[in-house]
Amino acid sequence: MELTLSSIVIQALHGLVYGMLLFLVASGLTLVFGMMDVLNIAHAAFYMLGAYIGSTILLVTGSFWLALILAPICVGLLGALVERFFLRKVHVHGHAFELLITFGVFFVVGEVVKWIWGNFPRSMDPPGILSGSLHWMGMTYPAYRFFILVISSLVLLGLGYVFLKTRLGLAVRAAVSDASMVNALGINVPRLFLGVFSGGTALAGLAGVVAGPFLSTYPGMGLDMMVDTFVVVVVGGFGSLLGAFVASLMIGELQSFGVLFIPRLALVFQFLLMAIVLITRPTGLFGEKV
Amino acid sequence: MSRSIFLRGVLLAGVALLLLAAPRVLSIVQTRMLTEIAYFALFAVSYNFLFGWAGLLSFGHAAYFGLGAYVTAISLKHVAGLHLLAGMGLGGLAAALGGAVIGFFCVRRKGSYFALLTLAFNQFLWAIAWKWREVTGGDDGIGRIIPRKPVDMGFFYLDLTKIPNKYYFTMAVVVIFLAIGWYLLRTPFGNTIQVVKVNEERAAFLGYNVNRSKLLIFTLAAFYAGIAGSLFALFQDFVATSAIGLGMSTEVLFMAFLGGTGSYFGPMLGAAIFVYFTDWISSITEHWEFFLGVLFIILVLYFHRGFIGLIPSKVRAVFAAGE
Amino acid sequence: MAILEVKNLHKDFSGLKVLFGIDLRLEEGDRHAVIGPNGAGKSTLFNLITGKYVPTRGQVLFDGQDITGFPPHRVARLGLARSFQITNIFRTMTVFQNVRNAVLSRKGIRYQVFSRLSSLTWVNDEVDSILSQIGLLDRRNVAAGELAHGQQRALEIGLTLALDPKLILLDEPTAGMSSSESRDTVSLIERVTRGRTLVIVEHDMDVVFRIANRITVIYYGKVLASGPPEEIRNDQRVKDAYLGEERT
Repeated sequence: MELTLSSIVIQALHGLVYGMLLFLVASGLTLVFGMMDVLNIAHAAFYMLGAYIGSTILLVTGSFWLALILAPICVGLLGALVERFFLRKVHVHGHAFELLITFGVFFVVGEVVKWIWGNFPRSMDPPGILSGSLHWMGMTYPAYRFFILVISSLVLLGLGYVFLKTRLGLAVRAAVSDASMVNALGINVPRLFLGVFSGGTALAGLAGVVAGPFLSTYPGMGLDMMVDTFVVVVVGGFGSLLGAFVASLMIGELQSFGVLFIPRLALVFQFLLMAIVLITRPTGLFGEKV
Repeated sequence: MSRSIFLRGVLLAGVALLLLAAPRVLSIVQTRMLTEIAYFALFAVSYNFLFGWAGLLSFGHAAYFGLGAYVTAISLKHVAGLHLLAGMGLGGLAAALGGAVIGFFCVRRKGSYFALLTLAFNQFLWAIAWKWREVTGGDDGIGRIIPRKPVDMGFFYLDLTKIPNKYYFTMAVVVIFLAIGWYLLRTPFGNTIQVVKVNEERAAFLGYNVNRSKLLIFTLAAFYAGIAGSLFALFQDFVATSAIGLGMSTEVLFMAFLGGTGSYFGPMLGAAIFVYFTDWISSITEHWEFFLGVLFIILVLYFHRGFIGLIPSKVRAVFAAGE
Repeated sequence: MAILEVKNLHKDFSGLKVLFGIDLRLEEGDRHAVIGPNGAGKSTLFNLITGKYVPTRGQVLFDGQDITGFPPHRVARLGLARSFQITNIFRTMTVFQNVRNAVLSRKGIRYQVFSRLSSLTWVNDEVDSILSQIGLLDRRNVAAGELAHGQQRALEIGLTLALDPKLILLDEPTAGMSSSESRDTVSLIERVTRGRTLVIVEHDMDVVFRIANRITVIYYGKVLASGPPEEIRNDQRVKDAYLGEERT
């Protein structure tokens, strides 16, 4: 494939699209870990659920936009149930059991998806207006990918605003820093945890709906996303949102260009990056000493 | 002789007799199942080296099982004249090496990070197995591993194409390794591992090198898993990416917790229950994995001591690790 | 040669500065007490000396050897043992097993696989000897977590003693004790630290003046005064800053 400026830009955009999607999912994971000290292994399962539920809503109602709104809400509710009835119950037994229960949830969700929707990929068509291409400066770019970019940017900007400029965001940031102190200040910490957990899963669900038509909706998408988000966390640094952002984009671009130049290594780029980071900068790009 | 040692001896003798007689009394299918239980028991016990002994929760233990399986398969298939035991040894060694390298990166991190890394490295190895078709056969796998002619074992010839022979060979290897593991738990090394688990900080201030201890047990657990993997390869006469994937890591984790990670025998019981249960339930419904997952969640929520925890403590005390 | 020298020790926790250049000098056989208000940095000092934290600046020398930044297990193996302010024992193990852990480490028997633990009778004898020194021989097979507070503190000291260290650092050994318990603990400390050098962090002034032959006062990360007990007792700065508030 010839290396023209426009082809480089397009590849870079591809990488950006996946990177943003990845960050959408990884941010929820990082936030929950930073605040509750729980690595939610099931997080990517909610991403997958979002895609599948979204595909069904699309099938039933014919409206992609309805799916985009309803699916994350469904997933968020499920996330709330998991936090309230599983995570909280197991909290007393320590971190190991929290990990085990989220792992169990990941596994069961995977099986539920296969049971309800079948063990094969599912088609999910983007709405008409988004299925064409955009033309700009002589370059052609798929409209749907551009849509992903737009929507993830909007979501992230919205989140950033809530995080940095609202009282709720302040409470969350404080809780990430010192949850027991926040509790002492009278803020209902369990409810805050529930909210952040649920919000994080809803975000993952949204990413799932958005990713459905793009990456295709298939039973292994949960695992694939889980691994990528884990690599993001390692590369970016545990508990750092900025790190997660930078790492997500890095991985997106790495996969985009890497597949082009060394297709042999297609499945393993992120692992190689992870290994390099572990050797040279073990705490991740923006992480603190663990 | 104290009563508990006597009871233990009687039970062990009884079990030994049953195991020896098994292929003669049981059907071929049942003998096969027992063989499966044997190497899975070894695999599950190796998992418990990490969790039960050292307090390390791994989600990627199949990496070493798979390494053992693949290396044994590849070496037996492609190295002319390689002895069966040498092939197994290479598998175990490869697994131990993998454990040492991966363990080096994993053990110096705390709980969640450790778990995450084990999973990531597992997927890494799986991806390599999937992609490296020339060596691993990709998703087609490697078949026809067992030597078709009887193997010279010194005192006798071993024909692994017959089920009863597979059974006895697997049982013998498993029993030997399990016995060694039981012994190791009672050595100063075994104590060091537990000391680090009970109070890592104090252990360090008492002069224990925490990272090195963890790395050592990680490598040992990987080695044991690799041996289990090589037995698996020989039994199935086939190795594919399923041996090294997250599914296998999940299975061994389920087995260990099903049986109970608080005792040496727990994981063995877990392996037996798992093999029987999945065999039974998969004949009833195709969605058996869903029920397995639900069972696991119930276990974590309500019975985190596993099935062994259901045995009355007086009975358990008879077999408990004495000092 | 001094057994312990701390030179210009600074510690900065990502912006929170705790120590601003501590100097300390211990001769062999000293009974050195470190006192100061809460948050003055006494435990941090211990943590820097014993390797839990790495100093931002400065040096720690033990028996002439630079041990700055050594990890805890290396420091412990060199003969420097510490106890903890908040009891840090092996709660799910018996009292016997607790002390045995320390003895095994001291003897370098950490990775040995050639004998069963129970067969090492000389280790067991040594453990029992230490247990009788700290008065816990009759609680030998009790789980450490089930001991009374005072006994747990005694075990805490026992673990340090079992390392046969040249230098013992005790971090508030009488924390949470009644005066009779304190008196017993002081007797224990005097007994077991005979022939060794001792550094002790304490709030209880009675204990300090009974045990110490030198006192260093740390006030908000800096050494305010250092000298024999009488000197410190009469030092006006110390009185103003600390003793005036603390007198029990």
